Amino acid sequence: MFNLALKNILFYKGRSITTLILTFISALMFIVYVSMMDGSHESMLKNALKVYTGSIEIYKKDYRDIGGNEYLITDVQKIEKELDKIEGIDTYTARYETYGLLSSSTQSSASLVAGVEPLKEPSMSQLKVALVEGEFLSPTSGNCLYAGVDLVKKLEAKLGDEISFVGAASDNSFAADLFKLCGTFRTGSFSFDASSAFIARAYFDELMMSHNKASYINIKVHDLNDVDTINTQISAKIDDSIESLTWKTLMKTMVDAMEVDSIFGYITISIFYVVIFFVIMIFGFINVSSRIREFGTLRCIGLSRQKIRTLLFYEIFILSSIAIMIATPIGAYIAYYYSVHPIVIDGMSEMYKDYGIISDEIPFSFNLFTITWNISVVYLLNILSILYPMAFINSFKPVEAAHHV
Amino acid sequence: MIKIQNVNKYFYKGESREVHALRDINLEIKKGEFSLFNGPSGCGKTTLLNAIGALDSVDSGEIYLGETEITGLNEDARTSLRLNEMGFVFQAYNLVPVLNVEENIGFIMKLRGFSDSEIKARVQEVASFLEIDTKLKSLPNTLSGGQQQRVAVARAVAAKPKIILADEPTANLDSKNSLKLMDMMRSLNEKEDISIVFASHDELVIDNVRRVIKLKDGALVED
Amino acid sequence: MFKLILKLAWNNAFLRLSRTLLVIIMIAVSMSMLLAIQGLFDGMAYNMSDKMLRSDSGEISIYHKDYRLNKIIANHVTDAKTIKAKLEQDSEVQAVVTRFSVDGLSATARKSSFANIIGINLEDEEKFGQFSDFLKKGTLDFKKRGALIGGELAKTLKVKVGSKLVFSTQDKNGDINSIALRIRGILRTANVKLDTSAIFIDAVRLDKFLGIDKNIATQIAIRTQSSTLQDKLKKDYPNLSVKNFLEINPMMQMMEDSMVIFNSMIFVIVMFVVFIGILGVMYVSILDRIREFGIMRGIGMKYSHIRLQIILEALFVGLMGYLVGALFGFSGLYYLENVGLDLSAYADAMESFGYETILYAEIKLSYFTNTFYAIFTASLLSVFLPLRKIKKMHPIDVIKADT
Repeated sequence: MFNLALKNILFYKGRSITTLILTFISALMFIVYVSMMDGSHESMLKNALKVYTGSIEIYKKDYRDIGGNEYLITDVQKIEKELDKIEGIDTYTARYETYGLLSSSTQSSASLVAGVEPLKEPSMSQLKVALVEGEFLSPTSGNCLYAGVDLVKKLEAKLGDEISFVGAASDNSFAADLFKLCGTFRTGSFSFDASSAFIARAYFDELMMSHNKASYINIKVHDLNDVDTINTQISAKIDDSIESLTWKTLMKTMVDAMEVDSIFGYITISIFYVVIFFVIMIFGFINVSSRIREFGTLRCIGLSRQKIRTLLFYEIFILSSIAIMIATPIGAYIAYYYSVHPIVIDGMSEMYKDYGIISDEIPFSFNLFTITWNISVVYLLNILSILYPMAFINSFKPVEAAHHV
Repeated sequence: MIKIQNVNKYFYKGESREVHALRDINLEIKKGEFSLFNGPSGCGKTTLLNAIGALDSVDSGEIYLGETEITGLNEDARTSLRLNEMGFVFQAYNLVPVLNVEENIGFIMKLRGFSDSEIKARVQEVASFLEIDTKLKSLPNTLSGGQQQRVAVARAVAAKPKIILADEPTANLDSKNSLKLMDMMRSLNEKEDISIVFASHDELVIDNVRRVIKLKDGALVED
Repeated sequence: MFKLILKLAWNNAFLRLSRTLLVIIMIAVSMSMLLAIQGLFDGMAYNMSDKMLRSDSGEISIYHKDYRLNKIIANHVTDAKTIKAKLEQDSEVQAVVTRFSVDGLSATARKSSFANIIGINLEDEEKFGQFSDFLKKGTLDFKKRGALIGGELAKTLKVKVGSKLVFSTQDKNGDINSIALRIRGILRTANVKLDTSAIFIDAVRLDKFLGIDKNIATQIAIRTQSSTLQDKLKKDYPNLSVKNFLEINPMMQMMEDSMVIFNSMIFVIVMFVVFIGILGVMYVSILDRIREFGIMRGIGMKYSHIRLQIILEALFVGLMGYLVGALFGFSGLYYLENVGLDLSAYADAMESFGYETILYAEIKLSYFTNTFYAIFTASLLSVFLPLRKIKKMHPIDVIKADT
């Protein structure tokens, strides 16, 4: 039966070529399109995670919803001791964040001001590598302020300038100090660069009375895939007033946005599949109806309906396989190539900076699992497309079909 | 070998255009017979042939092939009966266009699971008998009508069926080719001891068979 | 003769019913999906730009030359109210508003965030862009230090209608000054910048708070249908920056461009595949009947008549598909225009990107005309190849041709 199918494919060239080309196009397009879509989503997430957000963060409950000094973590060391016992955690750091008004001699701006641990932060976030001018913080850098370039621009300040800070300390008392601008950074995320400034915790804790307190503890894990298991372990060890959240919760908005984007992507691409499905079906149907007599003869001389189905299945299966076997490596190569050498659209990040896009690059995602399910869909559609022709041909009586003109 | 008892068949049953295609046919065809259903168009000869060939059902009566009642079988059983016990030759040759002559002849044997060496030997034997052994690698559409029909006969014969049913095999052939075909089928009938039943109104066929069964308006009129 | 050919074409088009039906279904399904998606995308883009237009820039905005690069109090339009009064006299201008905007810190007892306070006149804004349309919660009311706040900013600050809020910024002399406000309403403008940072208060109160002259503004926004107004204003106010909507929102231009490219690509590819489908069916249908055509030519029918018959046949099939597709497509679009696609499950994400949680489609006549032309062309082209086959054949060969 398999040989016969092969011969039919070679014999009915028009149908074979059309099916091959369409299957090839759809498989290739599917792989590349999904790879591009997933790739840009992954890179957005990765960039966002890299900048400042941790893969797991520990909060006092309600800090994220209500916030304020009542919802600070008050015994950081106790939690840190627990974290030391959990495997899979790379590093962690406790940050103390507050909002205040920063003013230079001419301008002022509201900003996030965070006390961070200068030695731990470089392995947790992009802060240190994002350095543009001056230097990053150190444990002894005192009142040195490390601020985003766009914030500095707003303040019309330059390195070495004094920046005044007005805010509320962790006990709700008034806090004010003079900082010195020691370094500026650019992460690429506009909203972050325009409204964040950092200062060494040792110094900031004195000002804010925030020793052993934290807004949250930021955790980096060895392998991002383990994040859920590690999170469960952490949750088991901390008390009920504290919650441990993974990036999936922390960046819910972004994750949701990507899901919406994916939905639209799939809806769009599904049009192609519907059309291509129909065309492959039509060509299969035309092919079968031009072979009614042949199938009739086969039935007469003793081929069962099942055998006819098998024959048609083999035909579409072989055609699909050939097309997919050509398309998959090409698609995979394109995906792989662009995952290593992302497409660059100059000015894209500038244009979409309000939307959190921080890079001009569109990297593709190269994921064998994704490619596998993409081609499975193409296979499935092709095989579905032959069902109607199968039913059609088997609806004939053998004698009728054998004498069909 | 074939026993037909009180067979009736209608087309468009229950409609105003109802046709009584077969009327109370009673008939026996013995092993090794070389016979013909003859009659004008629409007399029911093809219908009868199809009924014997388990291609078509009947409305009443029974047809036996040996001990098996064909008329009582389901579709699967009939398919396997056709495959294992019968051979068919059609007016329009109906070869598989994508297979070459050798593969066409060996096709049924292959379906029945003969080994490749068995098939090869048998195809060679049948083909040389039917004088198409020089064309074994050709595709059907490169052959003349006479050659194609001989390939069809070869295909029917190759798997040694109990009976071959040939519906107007000569209708598309000129008289020279028709005669040659009839000669060859007759020799096959004798040599291989296979019953062959024709349905035809070709004079040339009538002259060459041993038994002529005449039908008119679905009824047996002469044997 | 034509009538006869028409009849032949019609009957032949539906001779092999299942085949023709397949093509019709193919055209109809792909067309209605195409229309629905285009409508939805256009609807989204339209909705977004419409809201940005109404909430902020209008068709044209006038700023101080340096304001857009450096948004400080000093970069204001000095005689804004005078300009506004003058523009209101212009018959090409439908509405004008002046706004004063300044960045600062907004803080509650627990949270604080960067914010942009904008002094507006509610009546003017209503006329300018149906401002009340943006209100999602609360009331439009500036009484008793009332303020309206962008939805995302409200989320960041964790404030509700009725919450109190302090806004601090530098006044015109550079001194830090604070004002206590009470949230009266929460807005959703689909303009990401406004939603994440805007606090609207009464223009008069802001002037007083900042100690500025009430005649000045940072922005004069204009609604107009005129395409020449911008050039005229540029001439009238050479020292000011007169920008149109797309210049102010380059992203919308880019979005629009990429949408057009994307939509046309989908359109062309889908129509090409549809073409292949029709071609296949027409080709086979003609091969099936090649003997019939041979006989027709044999008995003296002119080639041009046969050609006409085949062309009509293809058009019948194509147009049937088009009609069914247009019907389904229109119903789909009508549904999406009125009921919409409910994505409230992703409300957070949609809102943060400036989209409504329920997406509504646009219906444009051009969808139907474009598809009509495309399908018409595809049908016409599809007979080209089969016709050549017939033309090349001699009538005698055709009659002899074995089916």
